[in-house]
Amino acid sequence: MNDLRMSRYARQTLLPQIGPQGQERLRAARVALVGCGALGTAIADGLARAGVGFLRIIDWDVVELHNLQRQVLFDETDVAAGLPKAVAAANKLARINSEVRVEPVVADLAPRNAERLLDEVDLVVDGTDNFETRYLINDVCVKHRRPWVYGAVVATYGMTTTFLPGQTPCFRCMLAKKPAPGTTPTCDTVGVLGAAASVIASLEVVQALKVLTGQMEPDPPLVFVDVWEGVWEVLALRKGERRCPACDEGRLDFLTAREADRVVELCGEGAFQITPRGNGRIPLERLADRLGKVGEVFRNDYLLRARVAPYELTVFADGRVLVKGAADEAEARGIYAKYVGA
Amino acid sequence: MIRVKVKLFATLRRYYPELGIGEGIEVELPEGATVGQLVNHLGLPADHVRVVFINGIARDESHLLSDGDEIGVFPPVGGG
Repeated sequence: MNDLRMSRYARQTLLPQIGPQGQERLRAARVALVGCGALGTAIADGLARAGVGFLRIIDWDVVELHNLQRQVLFDETDVAAGLPKAVAAANKLARINSEVRVEPVVADLAPRNAERLLDEVDLVVDGTDNFETRYLINDVCVKHRRPWVYGAVVATYGMTTTFLPGQTPCFRCMLAKKPAPGTTPTCDTVGVLGAAASVIASLEVVQALKVLTGQMEPDPPLVFVDVWEGVWEVLALRKGERRCPACDEGRLDFLTAREADRVVELCGEGAFQITPRGNGRIPLERLADRLGKVGEVFRNDYLLRARVAPYELTVFADGRVLVKGAADEAEARGIYAKYVGA
Repeated sequence: MIRVKVKLFATLRRYYPELGIGEGIEVELPEGATVGQLVNHLGLPADHVRVVFINGIARDESHLLSDGDEIGVFPPVGGG
């Protein structure tokens, strides 16, 4: 890199942890970022400003007004233009650092495309908003021995760590049982503080810089932060007594899942049925309480119906969910993840 | 009997609203008690999935507890 191009990074290369050699490694690095919401925009901003050479940003969603409270790369013109988040982010990043090559991918990461979209990168960074996609990222990264940075946030707290396949436990070792739909809060049901997302995103960026410059410790800790309560816990992940289906036995259930089992388009305009795999019983009463805060909810013994404009969700106790008002399968899956929690 | 100290985080704190931030609960259990038995003893709902750390290390529900263990129980976090 010549002096003029290096001058952009002067304050960063001054750090002994980065230096000119580290900067050169960042320039040559390739990263896939999955999800471009509160975490994803802050992560993309951090990595692009730091000079990571290539960023593939994968997100199916469109910028909306309620995103602007915390999603730092977007503004009102993106909402007015109805731009996909990946595209709006790429546009903004091009003005921030034109040396970074950004590849926006407007798609839902799914078993059919995950290996292709997470290929030819040195690292995968998590900006997603649901468990299903994280188990899928984990399967791909276990299979291809690719490091990935996990980060998640809701309300005022979040957690993050880095998984190094073949070296550390994996995401499925940490969370053997996928939380059943509707049992965990999502940003769309309980809200999220932008400042909490900023902290988790910053920690994810630091971990990415460590991996990309070859300085990640062999056993990265799990960090839990609650920004409101001032809680900061650093915890160790170790292989448990139990064998992991993914990283010990090579059963990549989320990557090999047949998507036809999960989302089916129904007759009529924009109606989709989502059938979660495995044990999908949904505690309707608790879900009704949560959804009641964001929309109009009707409930009987068999189902719950929530109007969250412009969508209508019908949640059955056996786990099936009908989403009306979605333009396509990806949007239906996203709405499901947002309001029921996948 | 063994005595362990438990801290609950984030959404799990609502089951013990009288506890202050960072405050732990002292729990007495029979010798040979597991993480799963502790979770039952605490009255945390079975469908509320959690990650349990013993002395800072993530452990399975079948893990045997020892006298003096410090335990942190966290909800899985899925938003973003």
